[in-house]
Amino acid sequence: MAASSTGDGAAHEPTVVADDVSVVYRTKKQPSGRTTTPRPLLGGLRKGGLISGQVRTTALRGVSFVANQGDSIGVLGRNGSGKSTLMKVLAGLIIPDTGTVYAASNPILLGVNAALINSISGAENIRLGCLAMGMTHAQIDAKFNDIVEMSGLEDEIYHSMNSYSSGMGARLRFAIAAAVDPEILLVDEALNTGDAQFKDRSKERMNQVTNQAGTVFIVSHSLETIKSTCNRAFWIDKGDFIMDGPPDEVAKEYKNFIWRINEGNADYGRQIRAELMSTVPPLRTRLSSGRSKGLS
Amino acid sequence: MSIEDRTEAPPVDVAIDLGRLRRVGQRPGFVEYLGQLWNRRSFIFFDAKARVQSGNDKNILGSAWLILTPMLTGLTFYLIFGLLLNTSRGIENFIGYLIIGVFTFQMSTRSITGGAKSLTGNTSMIRAFQFPRASLPIAINVRELLSSIPVTIVMLLFVLLAPPDEAITWRWFLILPAIFLQFVFNLGVGMLLAPLVLKIPDVGMLLSFVMRIWMYASAVFFSDQRFNQYPVVKTIMDFNPLYLVIKSMRDSLLYATTPSLRDWTVLALFAVGALVAGLLVFWRGEESYGRV
Repeated sequence: MAASSTGDGAAHEPTVVADDVSVVYRTKKQPSGRTTTPRPLLGGLRKGGLISGQVRTTALRGVSFVANQGDSIGVLGRNGSGKSTLMKVLAGLIIPDTGTVYAASNPILLGVNAALINSISGAENIRLGCLAMGMTHAQIDAKFNDIVEMSGLEDEIYHSMNSYSSGMGARLRFAIAAAVDPEILLVDEALNTGDAQFKDRSKERMNQVTNQAGTVFIVSHSLETIKSTCNRAFWIDKGDFIMDGPPDEVAKEYKNFIWRINEGNADYGRQIRAELMSTVPPLRTRLSSGRSKGLS
Repeated sequence: MSIEDRTEAPPVDVAIDLGRLRRVGQRPGFVEYLGQLWNRRSFIFFDAKARVQSGNDKNILGSAWLILTPMLTGLTFYLIFGLLLNTSRGIENFIGYLIIGVFTFQMSTRSITGGAKSLTGNTSMIRAFQFPRASLPIAINVRELLSSIPVTIVMLLFVLLAPPDEAITWRWFLILPAIFLQFVFNLGVGMLLAPLVLKIPDVGMLLSFVMRIWMYASAVFFSDQRFNQYPVVKTIMDFNPLYLVIKSMRDSLLYATTPSLRDWTVLALFAVGALVAGLLVFWRGEESYGRV
């Protein structure tokens, strides 16, 4: 009732709104130059190892967007462009330095390094992961067979996770994260490790989420994956939000940009980048409270 | 330049209906946080249980080491102090005195160190799932409590069987509230330290030395009469909660004395104070733990 600006009825209700999100990482500076040069033991301390040794890296700069129900959004970008950071921010694992993320329900992130406890069996890890996400023992019992089936693991499910291949581990994590019926699913490169059978299953699962008026974000370096599974794509580069549009168009511009950079025509590439960035409309959020709830 | 470029496109207005959308990752109120923790109790217990079982998986004898380790430790003490050196250092039932001190203090060392490192040691878990982070130090302390059950049983057997053997009195039950207060105190201290260790990892390195000094101030393997001529040290010891735990266990098990009300009160105040302070400090930093 209050959300009148989006208009078109239930099908386009926003599920995730990022409002001017910026993230700055502070990391310890390593001395430049040859790594074989011996470092003075105390020099690191004296020369500001404790004081000025921090470097600030901007991982995301003023990222804003609205994701709607039924959207399946592919996120493109070079390595280190801030894609994974964006996923962590959307999942609430990192609180942005400025800006806010609003979501209709708790987004579930599925990452490649979402390690569980390796020394216990896959079956016990299913229970542990589901409990961590807030499910009860009864709910897990009811879903246990589905999760095992989704993971594609058979007898291996009772073996210790130490014995799993990286692909098997990724499948198990996907199955666990998908078990809570997330309304908002964030998939970070998890599809790259699976085999063809697993890719089909996970694609099916993601379609299920979007069909139930949920939203899926997929980070992938495979343009084909994004073109075939998504109805929308974002392009992020060095923390800047460059483009938001249909996957075909975004992929085309992205490929064009990469080609210019590789070809040595970096200036032209940067020009494309700046032009595209300028066409992204800024977001002006207005808080309206369905329930009266003050916001600091 | 990027900011000026952006203004070229007309802005889009978005109404955020706070009845439907919520801020992601926002720290809940303290009471709500406690509620969330209560809802994750199955997770906490399962995590603790899984880690107790998996702790010895690499060994051929597996979980038998939960009993074997304290038994061999106790036998070593018996061999060295009881048979070889035959020393008592002026303490009545020195073997029992020593075993109670060492076993009890070790439980605190492991719990406090584990709790302090619960954030730095579980980064993969923190990055993967959204749950109240205080579950981690609680799970570690529950794990240590669970694995201290066989240790305590072995300890009681030694007190009972190693000469001079002690008789069982009703006071033996008094070790249960003592262990409980010790658990609460360990948990509180661990939660106080965990955010600090995450921020300054070097604190974790210092912790083992602090625990060693703490051990010497707890009269683990020498008589607590030793500092009688130094009133300052004596006062510090009298307010050392871990010493009070050990003392009340020795009183109940070895000397058939009921621990004084004063000791119980000081111990309980320390335990509750540490837990409340730990919970508050831990909750205040909740939003920052994902950034590792």
